[in-house]
Amino acid sequence: MTAREQYAPGPAGGAQVRKDGEKWTLILVRELRHSPEKVWQALTDPAQLREWAPFDADGSLGTVGTTVKLTTVGAPTPHVTETKVRRADASKALEYNWGGFDIRWELEAVGGGTRLTLWTNIDRRYISMGAAGWHICFDVLDQLLSGTPIGRIVGPEAMKFGWPRLNAEYAKQFGLETPTATSRRRT
Amino acid sequence: MKIKLTSVYVDDQDKALRFYTQVLGFAKKADFSQGPFRWLTVASPEEPDGTELQLALNNNPAAKAYQQAMFQQGQPGAMFYTDDVKGDYERIKARGAEFTMPPTDVTASTIAMLKDTCGNLIQLTQLAGRKTR
Repeated sequence: MTAREQYAPGPAGGAQVRKDGEKWTLILVRELRHSPEKVWQALTDPAQLREWAPFDADGSLGTVGTTVKLTTVGAPTPHVTETKVRRADASKALEYNWGGFDIRWELEAVGGGTRLTLWTNIDRRYISMGAAGWHICFDVLDQLLSGTPIGRIVGPEAMKFGWPRLNAEYAKQFGLETPTATSRRRT
Repeated sequence: MKIKLTSVYVDDQDKALRFYTQVLGFAKKADFSQGPFRWLTVASPEEPDGTELQLALNNNPAAKAYQQAMFQQGQPGAMFYTDDVKGDYERIKARGAEFTMPPTDVTASTIAMLKDTCGNLIQLTQLAGRKTR
């Protein structure tokens, strides 16, 4: 079996939801055994993003003011949005927007590694889906940084790698009903 | 190969879902999201496993231009078939929808046209010979 076939995500954890009225923010924290400089490259370099992120970028996200096209990967129809990098403090903080959702990364050096924090405002109905998706992306990122890339796992592919379980676990942690991809309701 | 899905562009998916369910009477079928992408479909309660209508966000210039041009030319963004166009007209109008054409006899059918509040005209079609229930 390949490393990819063997991959299974651990239990849900490291996520919080900040509720400000209708606006909910998902906060994800992941400790990585790699330097902030190395993590920064993976967050900004299009070639590395292609190995783990849920979108492709047509240019580096590492320079403030740059306009970059982001293509959501694994969506049932093509979905491209444009963003301007709002903040890029190398190896410290990165801010841009992904199709209307603010994305903010913070990198903090912790004992030779990095504590990576992601803040993203996300529609409350899909917040557990987002947490589950990013959880898997972070696992794949960790593998990439460790020099043993297993290939991006996003979109429908994630269904085969424990995404439904994570979605249910995060929904429970956030005190939500488990959202389902399909529902039938008569009005 | 089967035709199981058709799409209509909308300017707001939440507003569209309310209109297509609460006003037109369809039922939500699929609703999931990946990042900023949201896949949203409705189906007819008369045919829950029938063709789905995707309510697709018009967040790209081509979709917006197409939708506006169709609307300005009076072309429907979608067409639904009914066995009772007059009954549906009354029912949907009572729920607050704005019709641009009341039920009107045309060749081989009776049609009505309404605004979906999301940038489209919707045509209701009753084929001649299909009985009113």
